[in-house]
Amino acid sequence: MNAQTQVSMPPTDILECEDGFHIYMDLPGIAAEDLVIDLEQNELTVQASSKYDMGEPQAMRNEFGPLSYKRVFTLSDMVDRENIKAIIKDGVLDLFLPKADSMKPRRIEIKAE
Amino acid sequence: MVIDFNNLYEMPKEMDRILEMFRNSSSVQRRNSYPMVNVAENGTGYYVDACIPGVAIEDVDLTLTARSLVIKVERKSPEGRYFRQERLAGTFQRIITLNVPVERDKVTAKSVNGILRITLPKAEDIKPRRISIEQ
Repeated sequence: MNAQTQVSMPPTDILECEDGFHIYMDLPGIAAEDLVIDLEQNELTVQASSKYDMGEPQAMRNEFGPLSYKRVFTLSDMVDRENIKAIIKDGVLDLFLPKADSMKPRRIEIKAE
Repeated sequence: MVIDFNNLYEMPKEMDRILEMFRNSSSVQRRNSYPMVNVAENGTGYYVDACIPGVAIEDVDLTLTARSLVIKVERKSPEGRYFRQERLAGTFQRIITLNVPVERDKVTAKSVNGILRITLPKAEDIKPRRISIEQ
């Protein structure tokens, strides 16, 4: 019944921590090898396709099937693009976007003449 | 902020994306029940798949009553200052009715990539079996 794979927007949390931003995305059924993350200029694209298959013929209830996910984010200049980290665990992608050094709070030293 | 609209040159692209968001939101069904489950059956048992991304196995509580399986999950949300929160958090429960008794001691559960597979073998005495006819 669910032979066609739908493309959906995965539910996402975006939050700020002390060291930077975290994007958490629900990607059930997705392993690291099913996931593609591209950064082009200031656009971060996350794409994934699950190969989920119940594998049993007599389905009594079918609420989810294989899904394709896609979501695009626009990054601001505050993000240090060189050090973006992505970890996927238990079907949740954790994208860590560190703040660029120039954006971190710092104390300005005063020099006495 | 992660999302900024400062760059006006990007505006047409942004508009396209917002429109796409609306189109997509109608196709993705918002379901009342959480977590989503698939249930299948064959001659030997029941198979239940629950979609629980990000839930640690210790936050899953499975209870087997006479004729039903209760799946209770607790989803915790990370700490921080939220710009956007779409992922559900809290305690959720689903009850799945089983039509035939299952082998209570042989029920197994395993989680792979956020999908929990529960296998419930049917009780031996209800399985179909061939009866030999004596002549």
